[in-house]
Amino acid sequence: MNDMDQLVDIENSTQSKKIFLDQDIYEQEQERIFGRCWLFLAHESLIPKAGDFMTTTMGEDPVIVVRQKDGSTKAFINSCTHRGNKVCSAESGNARSFVCNYHGWVFGSDGSLIDVPLNERCYHGTIDKSTHGLPGIRVESYRGFLFGCFDQDAPPLDEFLGDFGWYLDTWMVGAGGGVELIGPAMKSILNCNWKVPAENFVGDAYHVGWTHAAALEVLGGELAGLAGNQADMPYDDLGLQFTTRFGHGFGVIRHAAASIHVKREGYDKFLRDTLPAVAENLGQARADLYDGHWNCTTFPNCSFLYGTNTFKVWHPRGPGQIEVWTYTIVHKDMDEETKKEIVKQAIRSFGTAGTLESDDGDNMTNCTHTNQGRMTRKGRMDATMGIRHEGHHPVYPGIVGSSFIGETSYRGFYRFYKEAMSAESWGDIRAQDNHWDEAWKDNGFWEAKAGKGE
Amino acid sequence: MAALQSLNLDGKEYNPVSMDLHHQISQHYFLEARMLQNRQYREWLENLVAKDIHYWIPIFENRYSKDKRPEPTPDDPAIYNDNYDELKQRVERLYTGQVWMEDPPSRIRYLITNVEAFQTADNSDEFMVYCNFAIIRHRQLLERTEHVGGREDRLRRTDDGFQLARRKINMDARVTVDKNTYFFA
Repeated sequence: MNDMDQLVDIENSTQSKKIFLDQDIYEQEQERIFGRCWLFLAHESLIPKAGDFMTTTMGEDPVIVVRQKDGSTKAFINSCTHRGNKVCSAESGNARSFVCNYHGWVFGSDGSLIDVPLNERCYHGTIDKSTHGLPGIRVESYRGFLFGCFDQDAPPLDEFLGDFGWYLDTWMVGAGGGVELIGPAMKSILNCNWKVPAENFVGDAYHVGWTHAAALEVLGGELAGLAGNQADMPYDDLGLQFTTRFGHGFGVIRHAAASIHVKREGYDKFLRDTLPAVAENLGQARADLYDGHWNCTTFPNCSFLYGTNTFKVWHPRGPGQIEVWTYTIVHKDMDEETKKEIVKQAIRSFGTAGTLESDDGDNMTNCTHTNQGRMTRKGRMDATMGIRHEGHHPVYPGIVGSSFIGETSYRGFYRFYKEAMSAESWGDIRAQDNHWDEAWKDNGFWEAKAGKGE
Repeated sequence: MAALQSLNLDGKEYNPVSMDLHHQISQHYFLEARMLQNRQYREWLENLVAKDIHYWIPIFENRYSKDKRPEPTPDDPAIYNDNYDELKQRVERLYTGQVWMEDPPSRIRYLITNVEAFQTADNSDEFMVYCNFAIIRHRQLLERTEHVGGREDRLRRTDDGFQLARRKINMDARVTVDKNTYFFA
């Protein structure tokens, strides 16, 4: 087992560089994080009809997700129970059954083994079909987002999302109509550790002004002021950062939802028109965040930008590689033209040829692979920005940081990372439910800020 | 033989261009490749691209042969789906001096082959041109990526030479093996 106290220092908010490129740590992550947490599979809108399927991976495990006749969704491991071959090679489609190419075993859309060629003649009837179905995976939906989990002891999905779900509701159901994902996904390989983009999306508004200076300058809009970090901006008034129980976190730049989109009249109008409903349905606290731009990560590897509306999954492929899948989020109630424009603008900025996406690749790769160096990997990484300028907030649940440019949600991400990596089981994790926020307990940051009349 | 050399598209037959015109068009494609290789993006856009361009790289999925869902259209999500102004914005980003990933600059080589050109109609100045490409990009010290695919172009003859009016780029790789596809295929 890896020494988690050495790898992640919560009090001082530093991490060992080793966490990005070490096979042993990666193996432990696969077991204790990807084997345990709810992982994004698909959105219900991508597999609407009975028999509709998608293939994906949970960690590195190949998975088929299938809409059932009764409208429910099942997921199972995409590996034949005979000799292990994949039973489905298409990315998506509609099927009544999945036939293994190797020996022709046939599995139903519910994963059950239906037919074994020569079962009577050559197996002499010894194969018990009822025990040879494809291994099933727990599937639950949150507002149409389907997640799978390998661990029977994991809490239900909505508990796992917890306060993060409370925030997500702001735009997932705030105005009533819900959101959906538009595919097919763009897919690309990036040679980086899965945590680099996950931490970047959970809380790195800091890099935006510098890494993306070129794009911000050309695109204009509200965020252009961030370009090159030149402008003297009142960062504490422009947004907040959040982290929650199980490492999920996000940052919000106020009133900047669609600011990366060059063409955005339809989207802006939609947000304006639906804002009163959000306030009415969910209250002012969340309505205040509704027209903001959010950078989010659902622990461990599902990230999205609400406002820009790009939706990413970082599928791990070993410690030094990921496969990036990119969808677009749209509100179901939008007119078709607005949806199309949002898809176009989201991909324009964060697709594989995105004006902003194209800036990130080297950072991600180099943060990972410099640690090939033995001395380099003994070093530590710093995530202290805004430390102690955060705490329990009088209105918002979780831990709230005072500025959208800060590393509050990095701290929350790695706090839970350490907890999950150290725990023997979900039982150990749940035993910490009342203590998880000790690092921030009673620090009185927001009370003091309110006292000063800020 | 003529029938084989012509292009059959949506039930209509299109004749190949003359040898002379084919030569001119091929030379134009090599000129374009040279400009892009030399990172003369502004010159490329200004001189070789028509103002009504549609520049498109669709996303496709690997599906079973029996899957009869339609091919992607420009209304579907696409890696590039640009008009002239949108292309211009991409070009201008490269001149800001702040694209850190392109400094030191990458070297990008275009191998253009299998050029076939067809008349859209008798005496028309627009041609349908198909070609294959291998785009090889070297970055940093050891990074080498390769993008192979085909173009389906609509090329227009003007007083100032040929201009690109439509380009559909079919990338053969479903999963992009590169940090980005921010180049002009």
